[in-house]
Amino acid sequence: MRYLTILILININIFAFDDLQQNCIHCHQVQKIPSDMIYRKYLLKYSTKQNISKAMYNYIKSPSPQTSIMPKPFFSKFPVKPLLNIEDSELKELIELYIDRYDVKRKLILSQED
Amino acid sequence: MLRSEKKSLVRFLVIYMTSTMVLFSIASWIFYTSSKQNIIEKQQQSLKYEAKHLLSKIRHLHQSHAPKLYYPNSKEYKSAIYDLDKNYIFGSFDKVVEYDAMHTDDKILVYKDKVEPYYLGSAYMLLAQKLNQQAITQLQQQIFWMMLTAGVFFTILGYFLGRLFVAPMRESIEMMNKFIQDTTHELNTPISTILTNIEMIETFHPEINHTDEFKRMEIASKTLSRIYDDLSYLKLNHRYHREIISLDMVEFLKQRVIYFESIAKAKEVNIELIIKDSVIWHIDKNDAIRLIDNLLSNAIKYNHIKGIVTIILYKEKLVIQDNGIGIKKSDLKYIQQRFQRANSSEGGFGIGLDIVNQVVAYYHFKLTIESQPNQGTTITIGWNI
Repeated sequence: MRYLTILILININIFAFDDLQQNCIHCHQVQKIPSDMIYRKYLLKYSTKQNISKAMYNYIKSPSPQTSIMPKPFFSKFPVKPLLNIEDSELKELIELYIDRYDVKRKLILSQED
Repeated sequence: MLRSEKKSLVRFLVIYMTSTMVLFSIASWIFYTSSKQNIIEKQQQSLKYEAKHLLSKIRHLHQSHAPKLYYPNSKEYKSAIYDLDKNYIFGSFDKVVEYDAMHTDDKILVYKDKVEPYYLGSAYMLLAQKLNQQAITQLQQQIFWMMLTAGVFFTILGYFLGRLFVAPMRESIEMMNKFIQDTTHELNTPISTILTNIEMIETFHPEINHTDEFKRMEIASKTLSRIYDDLSYLKLNHRYHREIISLDMVEFLKQRVIYFESIAKAKEVNIELIIKDSVIWHIDKNDAIRLIDNLLSNAIKYNHIKGIVTIILYKEKLVIQDNGIGIKKSDLKYIQQRFQRANSSEGGFGIGLDIVNQVVAYYHFKLTIESQPNQGTTITIGWNI
């Protein structure tokens, strides 16, 4: 039973990441806009997960240079992303996954004392 | 050193040292608190500098896209970063962020700084460092030694100042003592001559014994003899060999009453001796004579005409009471000192109660004086049984 639960959870995760890859990261990779860099920009401006999540949601729901985290000159080189046709709940879930994926806490390690 | 000189010197030193040390303590305390504050401020500045350094490292980490971000970890201090909602992000310790910009207690220094823009999402940065107690301990030691040195210096200075301060008093007491010494020396021969001749008259001319003139002469010579003995006693001031004997107080008191009979009669004072218990004193006879004679002499001298002196001997105390002029309450504490007299209407040097006091102190007796002006005085000498 325990193994079955773990297996189900892994599968759910894999499917969720597939959605994230398909709906978000794929385009970023094609356009060579590093997602990690975008996340750091959000982090630099909004600090908390809730604030970042809110800002991302606002941008995806109404994409424009005004709602974007990227500077205005960025849009002279790259187009504004098209509006995603997905449910709110699914969008919020994807944003959560995006934030978790690039969360700096995952990367931070305490160095040796100097 | 004279007793009163010693007393005055001690009093002067106590006042001088207390005031000096209080002033010195206040000055040291002010110096200590300001120096301690300086030490802490230095450490706070150093922590602020470390905070800037740490911020620069965090900025670099934010810009790095390496797979692992190594958070700076220093031996000198602990640090942590928190987001805008004060949630812990990462760090070498996880203290809560609820501190003032700079918090200091006896053990720790904590510095909180705002971070903007939010590198790695951090809105606050907290640095904590152990308070360096070594510098404070050194300061405390420095002040302790300073206080000790000042204490020794001011004690020595105070002692010499005190000696200068009491020098005039010492000179006058020494002059008085020299006068007594010279007087007693000069009185010795004439008094001995008078007493010997009175005894000779009593033996060889009994018909003269009962005349008023002879009695007055006898009283005067006895008074003179007693004054001489008191002065000699003070002159020797304990420095003579005491021969401790078992003294039957009943017999002794009877003898002293007989001795004072003629003096009392002259003033029409009646002496009553009441023996409640038999008592043996282990005492030098001269000390006992000086003690009882001075008390009896005072009881007669400061009594009214036709007054009563009552001597009551109990197992544990001797009470001598009179119904004479009494002593004012304010004078009671001074009269046991040498040359102090509560009443100057009668003759005397004011040395009687000083001698009484010396004898009482030597034999560890307890002296109590109760008196009411115009009602009389009750003197009680108590001893351990």
